[in-house]
Amino acid sequence: MAVCVAVIAKENYPLYIRSTPTENELKFHYMVHTSLDVVDEKVSAMGKALVDQRELYLGLLYPTEDYKVYGYVTNSKVKFVMVVDSSNTALRDNEIRSMFRKLHNSYTDVMCNPFYNPGDRIQSSGNLGISLSCRAFDTMVTSMMIQVC
Amino acid sequence: MSVPDYMQCAEDHQTLLVVVQPVGIVSEENFFRIYKRICSVSQISVRDSQRVLYIRYRHHYPPENNEWGDFQTHRKVVGLITITDCFSAKDWPQTFEKFHVQKEIYGSTLYDSRLFVFGLQGEIAEQPRPDVAFYPSYEDCETVEKRIEDFIESLFIVLESKRLDRATDKSGDKIPLLCVPFEKKDFVGLDTDSRHYKKRCQGRMRKHVGDLCLQAGMLQDSLVHYHMSVELLRSVNDFLWLGAALEGLCSASVIYHYPGGTGGKSGARRFQGSSLPAEAANRHRPGAQEVLIDPGALTTNGINPDTSTEIGRAKNCLSPEDIIDKYKEAISYYSKYKNAGVIELEACVKAVRVLAIQKRSMEASEFLQNAVYINLRQLSEEEKIQRYSILSELYELIGFHRKSAFFKRVAAMQCVAPSIVEPGWRACYKLLLETLPGYSLSLDPKDFNRGTHRGWAAVQMRLLHELVYASRRMGNPALSVRHLSFLLQTMLDFLSDQEKKDVTQSLENYTSKCPGTMELITLPGGLILPPVPFTKLPIVRRVKLLNLPASLRPHKMKSLLGQNMSTKSPFIYSPIIAHNRGEERNKKIDFQWVQGDVCEVQLMVYNPMPFELRVENMGLLTSGVEFECLPAALSLPAESGLYPVTLVGVPQTTGTITVNGYHTTVFGVFSDCLLDNLPGIKTSGSTVEVIPALPRLQISTSLPRSAHSLQPSSGDEISTNVSVQLYNGETQQLIIKLENIGIEPLENLEVTSKVLTTKEKLYGDFLSWKLEETLAQFPLLPGKVATFTVNIKVKLDFSCQENLLQDLSDDGISVSGFPLSSPFRQVIRPRVESKPVNPPESSKAGDYSHVKTLEAILNFKYSGGPGHIEGYYRNLSLGLHVEVEPSVFFTRVSTLPATSTRQCHLLLDVFNSTEHELTVSARSNEELILHAGECQRMAIQVDKFNFESIPESPGEKGQFANPKKLEEERQEARGLEINSKLDIHWRIPSLKRSGEASVEGLLNQLVLEHLQLAPLQWGGCGSLIFDEHGSGSRHFMVMRLVDSRFKGLEERGEPAHGNK
Repeated sequence: MAVCVAVIAKENYPLYIRSTPTENELKFHYMVHTSLDVVDEKVSAMGKALVDQRELYLGLLYPTEDYKVYGYVTNSKVKFVMVVDSSNTALRDNEIRSMFRKLHNSYTDVMCNPFYNPGDRIQSSGNLGISLSCRAFDTMVTSMMIQVC
Repeated sequence: MSVPDYMQCAEDHQTLLVVVQPVGIVSEENFFRIYKRICSVSQISVRDSQRVLYIRYRHHYPPENNEWGDFQTHRKVVGLITITDCFSAKDWPQTFEKFHVQKEIYGSTLYDSRLFVFGLQGEIAEQPRPDVAFYPSYEDCETVEKRIEDFIESLFIVLESKRLDRATDKSGDKIPLLCVPFEKKDFVGLDTDSRHYKKRCQGRMRKHVGDLCLQAGMLQDSLVHYHMSVELLRSVNDFLWLGAALEGLCSASVIYHYPGGTGGKSGARRFQGSSLPAEAANRHRPGAQEVLIDPGALTTNGINPDTSTEIGRAKNCLSPEDIIDKYKEAISYYSKYKNAGVIELEACVKAVRVLAIQKRSMEASEFLQNAVYINLRQLSEEEKIQRYSILSELYELIGFHRKSAFFKRVAAMQCVAPSIVEPGWRACYKLLLETLPGYSLSLDPKDFNRGTHRGWAAVQMRLLHELVYASRRMGNPALSVRHLSFLLQTMLDFLSDQEKKDVTQSLENYTSKCPGTMELITLPGGLILPPVPFTKLPIVRRVKLLNLPASLRPHKMKSLLGQNMSTKSPFIYSPIIAHNRGEERNKKIDFQWVQGDVCEVQLMVYNPMPFELRVENMGLLTSGVEFECLPAALSLPAESGLYPVTLVGVPQTTGTITVNGYHTTVFGVFSDCLLDNLPGIKTSGSTVEVIPALPRLQISTSLPRSAHSLQPSSGDEISTNVSVQLYNGETQQLIIKLENIGIEPLENLEVTSKVLTTKEKLYGDFLSWKLEETLAQFPLLPGKVATFTVNIKVKLDFSCQENLLQDLSDDGISVSGFPLSSPFRQVIRPRVESKPVNPPESSKAGDYSHVKTLEAILNFKYSGGPGHIEGYYRNLSLGLHVEVEPSVFFTRVSTLPATSTRQCHLLLDVFNSTEHELTVSARSNEELILHAGECQRMAIQVDKFNFESIPESPGEKGQFANPKKLEEERQEARGLEINSKLDIHWRIPSLKRSGEASVEGLLNQLVLEHLQLAPLQWGGCGSLIFDEHGSGSRHFMVMRLVDSRFKGLEERGEPAHGNK
């Protein structure tokens, strides 16, 4: 069960960020923001590898006292960051990986919408053309946050 | 040991620690002057060998850290330098005593000490003492460095002797157990004879020797000792010391691999001072050589005689990868001991520095992550700040800027933690500023102008809020206003409605004490805060420079047309020119503004705030011309749509003016918004020419203003419209007051009129005036009034319909299509409702009661002042709307022959179409009274006309005009003549209005023929015609000889009586 899911643009600004305990949202903002250092580092280390051999899943970025932060980067350098409660030991690496894959698919669906400008925030309050896609993305994230994998 | 030294790095292991302290009262300035000089002597090549000694100076060192000196010798204070002021010999013993007290503190570990006395002269200073140096003053002490060098050499001698002493301990002797402070009680009552204990002693001593070797510049030796120590200690599970031995190994390897140092600046300095890089890389050699040269020193080594075999292995040094592994291992051993927290923390820091050099950020971050969780005892607030700051610095070092910023911010918050009695807002602010790059936040609003904001808005906003708060608590309201403005300007899209309200509320609070300005704020650290113009409060979408109102627009004189041509090209159109115009953004607008006149710029603005926005002091920013801006204040409703705002100003000089932007005061913040910096703004050029001042003319008339506004086709606008109602044939004077309301004298005035095309045929001059009288009052000075009179004379067709009166016979019976066949028949004016009753007639009847409209424009072209010299003038138009009500109609016209062939009677059926009683008179005849709607016949005896006598002026133009037109003109001229003879007037006594009536329009060819003098006259060869109408024009006689129409034979005769 994820507590925070974030999509970060190639230029490292957030496209989407949502966390379940909404009262302390800023904490997760800080957490995801600082995790980008690790993502950058991992991506630059990976840069030498061939594209088709590249693993999109970055694994555990760093653990904190209460949470674990995982990362995933697409070929277009869009990053997904997921914060998971560290008390949830049932969550295996494979499950995290599949959650990221789902997230990636959902994100691709949003990107496929002709009304979506790459680089815009994913928010359902936007224009009618993209709000449906964004809502679908939102619903998917919600399901990831609720469901105990 | 409780105080960690976060600045430590691996190469510090090879240094000797010297404490420099003041004794007594020494001013900080003087102390640090000397301290700096002492610090410059940080490395010494020992005289008789190639070894190099490194010194680490501290002016403060906690004595409890000194107690760990046996564990790692670089923690041991081996030298003490005291600096003191002493001005009289009397104070000397006391001073010297103080020096001894100071020595006691570190006494157990000191190798040597020195006292530098400043200010003392005389006897005592003369006595040479080994440990005291006297200097007359802080300025006069050139030999300080030399003294320090000597001192270090003496330290070296002690160090060398200690090293050799420890190294040559016989194996039979009992090796003392070295231990750290917290271990002491653990070893009480332990069996000192056990093999285990001995090994432990050996291992620890070996490690200690390794430390000493490293300090003494024998790197290779130290490596050997460390290796052996590791093996020994591993076998006895002495983890704390095993960790120390491993760390020693790491340190020595780091020194070998990275001669440049890992500690940043201090390392670089050391590097510079040592020698050339190539040599530095081989710096380990001297030590190694020495070992080889002096094998005896090793063979006599009692601890392990086979050290020599170790020397053969050149692999003693760890590889870069191994260094990290060993550091990890060492740290894991340290972590077993709660009391060794500081050692563990420092080891982490050192490892991170090494990893930073190796550019292995990921592993470094793991070390740092570990360091974060090392729990020391309860830290003081200051230590916490220091710890977070150093974490931030280390994260920066490994390129984790965001993490670095995070910790820096935590450190900043720690500075003002509620538990601190005196919060350090200044420090907090300074630290917060340093976090800006980490959150990719620049304080220059220009960076946010392009496109949408992209960043971590939530985090950035928090930081800005903190900056605002910190600067406010610092007591710098200007700074908090600047930050708050920045927050509002750049984060507007991310603020919720409530936040917008809160932010503006606090901004208003701050600005009430310190209004926001457009000045740069320079911070003590050198950071410059650029001004924040509120370009989004309100948002401006379009800027348009407005032309002057039509009546004030300057025009160029026609005579100067050549100069006025915008292009010098002989072509009217060139695609190149057109293309260029389209390209230029700041193209010049093709109208002019006038100096001294109010000019307007229209902005389309909207308010993005959820509440009413008050914008004060809104004005224009211009360049090129001195411009007096008249600021406006406006209040925009919440989330308004586009809202037009007109900003006005008066150009004071002439030239080319460019509108660069506008300024506003919103929430007490003054902003200069330049158009160039505004995204998505539409402008149709912002440069316009200002021409010299012109006078301004205001006209007022005696007539009421009209609701009608004329729409002339030429595009000129009419500034004033007046209307008047007249009866057909009436004449009225229009008095126009010309007032110069400008500041320039009015020198020149031209008046022209233009009658707008109407279907009505006009007879006579509609408008006539005499300009000379007015011009006599010129030049018209500012504030002065001149009057100008225009006569309005309406003379429309008096026939009820043009083609009604066709048939005309001598007997006076004519057929008329006019419905009123009987002149005495009373008619009720046909009204609209009467139409159904008598439909075929009503349309015609409508004609004669119809109010006709005449419209004309009077143009006043005026000029004066400097603008006149430049060839400009202004044009003011007065619209004139005249409603012409019918007065009388001639419903039928016919002729009756009179007694004389030269005369005839003209019979006119006159119809009064007014609602009033009306009198009609012709020539000298008595008045004919007509009641409203009454029709009567009047007969006028007239002399027949000889039309040929009319000067044929149009004849000259005849060659241009077609014959038909000529004929028309001729007919008009005849009509005019007849009319002037008839001189018919009407009067409405009840309204006291009178006017003329003209028959011109109803004279057709038939009537004219009847009125015409027969072409041939009988009765002698000449006939007498007395012009009785003219004022005594009896003097001329026209003699017709053959055909009076035949002009060629016409002659002017003698005065009449001569021919009788």
